[in-house]
Amino acid sequence: MNLKELYQEIILEHGKNPRNLRKTENFNKDAKGNNPLCGDNVHVYLKLNNQRKVEDISFEGSGCAISMASASIMTDLIKGKSDNEAKEIIDDFLGMIKENPELKSTILEEDDKTKLMCLSGVKQYPMRVKCATLSWHTLISAMEDDGKQVSTED
Amino acid sequence: MNIDNIKKEFPIFDEKIQNNDLVYLDSANSSQKPKVVIDRINEFYTKEFSNVGRSIHYLAVAATNLYENTRSSVQKYINAKDKNEIVFTKGATEALNLVANTLGQKYLNEGDEILLTELEHHSNYVPWHYLRKSKNIKINFAEINEEGEIPIENIEKKITPKTKVIAINHLSNVTGAILPIKEITELAHAKDIIVVVDGCQGAPHLKLDVQDLDCDFYAISCHKMYGPTGLGILYGKKKWLEELPPYQGGGGMIKEVKKDRITYGDLPNKYEAGTMATAQVIAFDKSIKFLESIGIENIIKHEKELIEYGQEILKKNNSVKIIGNPKNKGGVISFTIEGVHPHDIATILDEDGVAIRAGHHCCQILHDKLEIPASARASVGVYNTKSDFDQLNESINKCKKIFDLK
Ligand SMILES: Cc1ncc(COP(=O)(O)O)c(C=O)c1O
Repeated sequence: MNLKELYQEIILEHGKNPRNLRKTENFNKDAKGNNPLCGDNVHVYLKLNNQRKVEDISFEGSGCAISMASASIMTDLIKGKSDNEAKEIIDDFLGMIKENPELKSTILEEDDKTKLMCLSGVKQYPMRVKCATLSWHTLISAMEDDGKQVSTED
Repeated sequence: MNIDNIKKEFPIFDEKIQNNDLVYLDSANSSQKPKVVIDRINEFYTKEFSNVGRSIHYLAVAATNLYENTRSSVQKYINAKDKNEIVFTKGATEALNLVANTLGQKYLNEGDEILLTELEHHSNYVPWHYLRKSKNIKINFAEINEEGEIPIENIEKKITPKTKVIAINHLSNVTGAILPIKEITELAHAKDIIVVVDGCQGAPHLKLDVQDLDCDFYAISCHKMYGPTGLGILYGKKKWLEELPPYQGGGGMIKEVKKDRITYGDLPNKYEAGTMATAQVIAFDKSIKFLESIGIENIIKHEKELIEYGQEILKKNNSVKIIGNPKNKGGVISFTIEGVHPHDIATILDEDGVAIRAGHHCCQILHDKLEIPASARASVGVYNTKSDFDQLNESINKCKKIFDLK
């Protein structure tokens, strides 16, 4: 086990200066997620335009470095994508965290893949997987607009 | 037994944990087990096993005697008046559920109030919460002060003519505050209020004398007292255990079962339905003997020195903030590091073999009050040494370095 694989520069940097940590004006989709065991919480806001493209995405919340970095990288990558592309990226990321050794999606640039792969370090720390996936599950809920609150403990 | 080299009694410290020596600072969660306790479980299953209290063959009688022997040891250890005031449960959680449930069945009525504190573990809140729903009982919370303690005035303030039960922690598993149980009991009994004590953290760290405390109930968690998991103890004054109804029904707790009527067994069987944690109970006798052989005065002195030392070095460490500053404190130091989430702290410390706990430690009410989502907690047992805190401090510094803190 190597801690450096988990707390890489990119994660620490995103954890400290999260991108899109704000509330989208005129958002039309949103969802809240929380991880009661850690006390992490996140609120994801989306603005989908008429062409079903993510015009803006942002989040508010607090949590550990892993969860903040994950939300930050996620919002960066999802912005500008169509809702179908976004779904593909989410599935790809969650699949990678769960079992796949690599990301498969062709939508993502190599550079983006590298960023996401930094989060793969949590695979060695089963207790921390939830930290990396909370914002992603919350994003799914926002896109489905199901009004459900995401909790890692259900 | 000398406390200075007690570590060698615990086989786990001979293990390498991910190539590190174990620095175990999570005893408030659960303590490690001495070899005598581990061996006793093995020996019982290997040579003496039988279920207790049922059959009349040799092994069954011998096992029953061993089982009852632990009850007597516990009675002496906590200075209960009567052996039958000791009830075995699956944990402190079950002990507290038993009390809340049976008081709810027979003693509490709609509109009655229960007074808890903001320091309570979820185990001493959720069981009472059920009564909110089923009986329309109201729950009040005595507030903590700036130091993270519950002064008796804060309890007194929240007592109303409707208060029927005060259920309180003996020693907080977050701030380490030791509550003045004896004074609280005096105050409560003058108003005919029942006192239930969550003794999970009190029992491993303090001298216990339930007659002196005079509380009506005292819940103990054996796995935090160098004993096996799956076992807890409820002490209850005889008059209450006799008056209250059974908690669970089944074999062992009955006297006579007919198609149209059932009578219940006498104490303590009345509250011990079904096959109990036999091996654990029998092995727990060794935990008590182990504690007695060190001497609770020596344990108190040792842990006080450790906590003082730990606080001293953590206070010197910039960006570490200790939660609470109770005058009367034991067992635990909870802290935060400005700019690093407790879960990141715990993961980074873990790499050095330093085991702490991070989260809300089943005390969400307290963390909400302190306006922090979580904290990190280092807690001690007889086996800890000052060097464990040196290592903790060193690993905290590594954590600060990773996060680029000064
Ligand atoms: C203060 C307190 N109360 C209750 C409990 C629950 O005890 P048990 O694990 O025996 O059910 C704990 C242990 O986590 C505790 O620290």
